Amino acid sequence: MPLPLPGIYLPVNEQSDTSKICVVMVGLPARGKSLIAGKAMRYLGWVGIPARVFNVGNYRRSNTPQPQATFFDPHNEEGERMRRAAAQAAMTDMLQWFKKDQGVVSILDATNSTKERRKWIAQECAAAGIETLFVESICDDEDLITNNILEVKTTSPDYKGQDPELAVSDFRKRIGNYQKVYETIGEDEKSYPYVKLINVGSTVIINQIKDYLSSRLVYYIQNLHIKPRSIWLSRHGESQYNLTGRIGGDSSISERGEAYARALPELMRKSGIPENTKIVIWTSTLRRTIQTARHLKADTGFEKLEWKALDELDSGVCDGLTYQEISEQYPEDFKARDDDKYNYRYRGGESYRDVVIRLEPIIMELERSENVIIVTHQAVLRCIYAYFMNIPQENSPWMEVPLHTLIKLTPGAYGTDEKRFKADIPAVSTWRGKGTSATHQEFPAGGH
Amino acid sequence: MDTLLTAEIVASSPQFRRKSSIFVDAIHDLPEKADLAPAQLYSTESGRLFHSGRIVIITVGLPARGKTHISVALARYLRWLGVKTRIFHLGDYRRATIPFGEDMPDDYFYVNATASSVLLRQKIVRKCREDIYHFLNHENGQIAIYDAVNPLASGRRSLAKEFAKHDIETLFIESWCDDERIIEANVRSVKISSPDYVSWKPEDAVKHYLNRISARIPQFQTMEEKDLNYIKMINAGERLIVNNRSFGYLSNRIVFYLLNLHIKNRRTYFARAGVSLDAASYKADASLSEQGEDYAQKMTECLLAHREAEKETMVARGDVNYEPRPLKVWTSTRRRTVETAKYLHEKGYTVRQRSQMSQLNPGVCEKMSERRIRAEFPDEVAKHELDPYHHRYPRAESYHDLAVRLEPIILELEREQNDLLIIAHESVLRVLYGYLMACNAADIPFLEFPRDEIIEIIPESYQNEAQRIHIPNLPEEIIPASPEDLKIPVPPSGFVSPIQGLGSPADGLATPQSGLRTPREPERISQQHVEDVV
Repeated sequence: MPLPLPGIYLPVNEQSDTSKICVVMVGLPARGKSLIAGKAMRYLGWVGIPARVFNVGNYRRSNTPQPQATFFDPHNEEGERMRRAAAQAAMTDMLQWFKKDQGVVSILDATNSTKERRKWIAQECAAAGIETLFVESICDDEDLITNNILEVKTTSPDYKGQDPELAVSDFRKRIGNYQKVYETIGEDEKSYPYVKLINVGSTVIINQIKDYLSSRLVYYIQNLHIKPRSIWLSRHGESQYNLTGRIGGDSSISERGEAYARALPELMRKSGIPENTKIVIWTSTLRRTIQTARHLKADTGFEKLEWKALDELDSGVCDGLTYQEISEQYPEDFKARDDDKYNYRYRGGESYRDVVIRLEPIIMELERSENVIIVTHQAVLRCIYAYFMNIPQENSPWMEVPLHTLIKLTPGAYGTDEKRFKADIPAVSTWRGKGTSATHQEFPAGGH
Repeated sequence: MDTLLTAEIVASSPQFRRKSSIFVDAIHDLPEKADLAPAQLYSTESGRLFHSGRIVIITVGLPARGKTHISVALARYLRWLGVKTRIFHLGDYRRATIPFGEDMPDDYFYVNATASSVLLRQKIVRKCREDIYHFLNHENGQIAIYDAVNPLASGRRSLAKEFAKHDIETLFIESWCDDERIIEANVRSVKISSPDYVSWKPEDAVKHYLNRISARIPQFQTMEEKDLNYIKMINAGERLIVNNRSFGYLSNRIVFYLLNLHIKNRRTYFARAGVSLDAASYKADASLSEQGEDYAQKMTECLLAHREAEKETMVARGDVNYEPRPLKVWTSTRRRTVETAKYLHEKGYTVRQRSQMSQLNPGVCEKMSERRIRAEFPDEVAKHELDPYHHRYPRAESYHDLAVRLEPIILELEREQNDLLIIAHESVLRVLYGYLMACNAADIPFLEFPRDEIIEIIPESYQNEAQRIHIPNLPEEIIPASPEDLKIPVPPSGFVSPIQGLGSPADGLATPQSGLRTPREPERISQQHVEDVV
């Protein structure tokens, strides 16, 4: 076992042992498969599990960019041959990815609508020592399907530049063609681990789940919902420590921080809250976030929760120091942190990776919840933001999240919409560029 | 809606302290206001989680399908999450209603039972239901687990309707089994140990028992009611069918938990980490000292010898092919726990580092003697003494924080099929032990794990059993507690540690928590439940 170096050691084998999983999506077009696949990939990537989606449609498009519905007719031999070739190409790349790039979870996004196709996938994976988890999405709610067709498929590359109405009718024909051969996962396939989601999880059948990672994925998928909602993120108002350039601590907010706290209810309104919307306020257990949310709570009467898991990244021995002091007292650590800020663990403290692990239950709760405003700290906010905006690990710790700014995130089918609202209350900038030990500067003068 | 309180307000109020530590009984001596449980996320005045309502979990299934096992495991988990949960076994009510020595009528479970049997049935169910209402309405209960057969769809629908009238949600959990081996194993392990079957041959007893069930309960309808919230567990978790009409936070959590639950008979061992070089410092994350290395080696030898001896015992008892389950090791990411696993790693055992398993963060109390903590933070010490489980020293974690952080570990613990050795700091062992043995939150900070003992936890049907394995030949000074231990919780003033001065620096560094409470017997989550022979 490689023994860890001070400050920067990495947990070996953090993830669930060595099992590799291929998540195989199953279902007719417009059943939300890609949405689930995309979200699962983002979630896994965020918790540090290498995950990738292999979309068979993308492989097929390289040869047949904009096929007509007849291409998908099971009696169209040419179409059938080309679609099989696309599946084969995706499979080859996927196995390669597991082997070469230490992939852990792949998501095979295609209709995989026949028993024969699923058997082939299960066999290929088993031969490569990869577990399979089939995720079938079944939907017979016409409204849901129509919505999905309109929202997603009219923007699909298959129909780019075409008349939306024709696109919809062609797409319905394509679904019809798939329906001719579609076989739901049946009793004769009960040896496969699978999840069947019927009408967005109103019935869920979970079969033969063998490992913890799969159970986590199932739990995650089960918590997803498609109701419209927004998530607001804010750092605490400027704190006494921000003023003196110290990190960590549990100081109160400054006068300007208090002004931000007072401005927050109005800023929320300005950001747009749909009528009769209930919002829940989440803060950390540290003074500066509780103080920042105080007026919002009093003004709106929203429920408020204090989560220990939202506390700032623990900077261990460096708690209460300025960046200047850290670079003087722990020069090696200071450099090590710049080299790999995501994995660097403060002596006696935490790394960004550690923060992500402790935030996982928060993300589960967020997926389940509807409207939430989170008042928290820079590092924690970066991690939550990275989850929703799919920011890679190497960038997220360097992201700039200014004080006195409200971020409104509205998750959509294929990505999250972001809007920022500045309170126009001056504050220091706490952003530090790589390789500098810049003291906190007056905002917006910040020299980065 | 509940008024929210912070954990601290709740914690500083003496009336919130639990008086008893036995699960079922403790519910009755709870004060009017709720207690906080090991991993409760936040607290409310009523003690209920506000993003979930009151729920009755209703079990469905023929006898010997593991309903009670599921009920007990769920209660353990929910209670640990801070959800006030209680199990109501209908069988207990039946026994209390039907006079001793009398049998229940033959047609008791029949669809077309005689009027007198129907009346009796209704009377028993009514009494049980009244108790459930009382628990949910007047004792701040949030989840009542109603453990009964509930064989008919019509009966289940009327139960759901009845509870809905009182604004209580229902979640049915059916345990359905068509694998004869599972049923037989269940009958063998929990049903035929009753006095009725003394001197029977096990095969005959099993057959007789199963025949009685089918005669008694000729009709059983598996759940197909799409209008009800239910989870159907097929063949002990091989498949789960979730019918989600209106699942809330807790129901989804329950599905996740059930996905990880299995009934395998595997062992969990707990061992302390060795002594480290800069043991007083939390932040230093120092390597093992020489004594620590020595401990790591002796602990490894002792554990392996114990497993070998166990295997020999099993073989001697006639189980010639007995093979213990493979052993896995989990450590925290702190150096001394990783290094304590070194010898096992060298012998080829899988070692996993889990960052969630780092010890309780002592915050400002790091490296401070008890005397100094008392002098510098008298107010904090006063608060701490009121509630050592929930109180958090400045910048420190409370045991409660630690329990919340350990939740993923708990689920993986349930999922793990192999034997498992957990090497961690005493604070982490306390919380994990507290979960497995359903300890009262207030007792968790005082559990003792002397370094010369490996704790082995063996699951049994109604409760887990703990046993201690002695590690011989350790130097005495490292056994009770090393200076690595946090000086919290601080004992009440005037307390004299029985082991003071044992190899510790002059400043009273001996562990203050030792001896505060007498070592406790393993807890039972439920009273020994008298099993029905229907």
